[in-house]
Amino acid sequence: MNEYDIVIVGAGPGGSTAAKEAAEKGLKTIFFERGRKPGNKNSSGTGLGPRLWREFDFMKEINSDDCPSIREGRAARNYMIDNDGKVTGYIMTTPTASVEYEPAKSWITLNCYRSDFDPWLAKYATDAGAELKTSTLITGLLKEDGKVVGVIDEKGEKYRGLVIGADGAVSMVAQQSGLRKRWGQKQVTLTLQYDFECSASKIDDVMGDEALAVWWSATFPAAYQVFFNSSFHIGLGNWMTWWDKNPVHYLNKVINLDYMQRLIRVLEAKPREFQAHLLPWMGTPENTHTDNVILIGDAGGFPCPLEAEGIYPAMVTARAAIDAAAEAISAGDTSKDFLSIYDMKWKATSVGEDFKSGPELQSIWMALPFSPRKSMSWFVPMFMEILGGIIDWSEPHPVRIRQIARSLKKYLPQAVPFIMQEVLPLLTSVLGEEKMEMLTDPAKLMAEMPEIQEAMMQAFMDAPKEED
Amino acid sequence: MKIDHRKLQSRIPGTGDFIKIDNSRCTQCDRCLVICVMNLWKKRGDTVYIVDDYTSHCLECGACAQVCESDAIEFRFPAGGTGIVIEQG
Repeated sequence: MNEYDIVIVGAGPGGSTAAKEAAEKGLKTIFFERGRKPGNKNSSGTGLGPRLWREFDFMKEINSDDCPSIREGRAARNYMIDNDGKVTGYIMTTPTASVEYEPAKSWITLNCYRSDFDPWLAKYATDAGAELKTSTLITGLLKEDGKVVGVIDEKGEKYRGLVIGADGAVSMVAQQSGLRKRWGQKQVTLTLQYDFECSASKIDDVMGDEALAVWWSATFPAAYQVFFNSSFHIGLGNWMTWWDKNPVHYLNKVINLDYMQRLIRVLEAKPREFQAHLLPWMGTPENTHTDNVILIGDAGGFPCPLEAEGIYPAMVTARAAIDAAAEAISAGDTSKDFLSIYDMKWKATSVGEDFKSGPELQSIWMALPFSPRKSMSWFVPMFMEILGGIIDWSEPHPVRIRQIARSLKKYLPQAVPFIMQEVLPLLTSVLGEEKMEMLTDPAKLMAEMPEIQEAMMQAFMDAPKEED
Repeated sequence: MKIDHRKLQSRIPGTGDFIKIDNSRCTQCDRCLVICVMNLWKKRGDTVYIVDDYTSHCLECGACAQVCESDAIEFRFPAGGTGIVIEQG
């Protein structure tokens, strides 16, 4: 028997962060990786958000000698693709004036392959004194009197300690501890992507400071394109209930857009690798712990409820889990009851803040970008009617404004229910019911804005009198 | 642009099965046939099966077992240090 304080299954961003934090607290820690090295089994969107730099000081040390795939950029491009598969417009965005801290003011994401990032991060854990065992599949949980007391590897070797399940979407720890047999079909997505290689200078020249693009579409679920130093990912996903055809069919639709083909030609890009993985994506993580077991990151269902950023929540929940585990160990009580402090701890983080509006955030993403035929089919033309209609010389401008207004009217039967079912509940959740009531009650709104009331009064007073 | 996505992987060959189907539980909902991006699930008559050489193609995503609500598909990861190696993930 190998005795540890903390036994971590998985050496991804969550597992390595947990191992580092635990070792730094002086806990005897081991973490396991089934690949030959961390990152061997992982693919993901790999955008590292600036919140990581605010939360984890060591992120400042990431560099392109250790992680040659790195590219950061301040811009994101949003393509709009209509029902005929044509790019009808795009918008580039950069950090806005209301963004408050560095590096978020300078870039929106720093992109880095998992094959670079995961080993880089794992080294912080081993440097702190955690023991890493690679090429080792943990196949079972060690139980005594029906309670989990550790893990067992594929060779039958036993490791005793508090178990942190950092083993991703298909979590053995979750299954064998009885926390979950499988996800609900609307709690997890299948995500698939191509990696394309191309030269760094081509990306610099063609994309400039664009780090990523989202392809919002009426013919496939919203696809993402992430640029690395000398390559890019193009991928998409959707909940398990959505797929009516093989997912590759939809990914190839993105690749074969005329616009994408032109971009691939200009970048002289070549497909190099194809990857697929399950990505948990839900409004409310549940069953996060039991006796002597805590789930973190993907294993616990923590990717962001709006757009499924996964690395940041994995690292934040790892820290919360080790805080909870350390308290439990020093109290000599690692029961499910005691470990409920884990839920309190992660809910108090910025990950918990996202999940306060989790169901509404997940629902709006499900209803719009991941419902291409049902929603994007009217949303894209409606959006582009406004955007494209303004830059137009086909008629005198007053005529165009009336044409656009008339055209928008025909989208109301779809847009109004969408606003009622998705946008208002989200706003209510974010703003609170009291403020929301103010927004939706004209009398209260007026009372808050006397100048509008004044303007309305003058407009009516100046209006010609009705004829008797 | 035709991409043969099935050829765009590296792997370290391993031994032993890691996916099984229990046909007595299978309800032939065919979700596994739709979801597998490598097209490894097939159907002959009323029998759903996984191709013989699946260990040379499987991406280890686990989608087949996830969609199998009847618990017919058993999935675990291949032995440590074997299977898919994602180099540019």
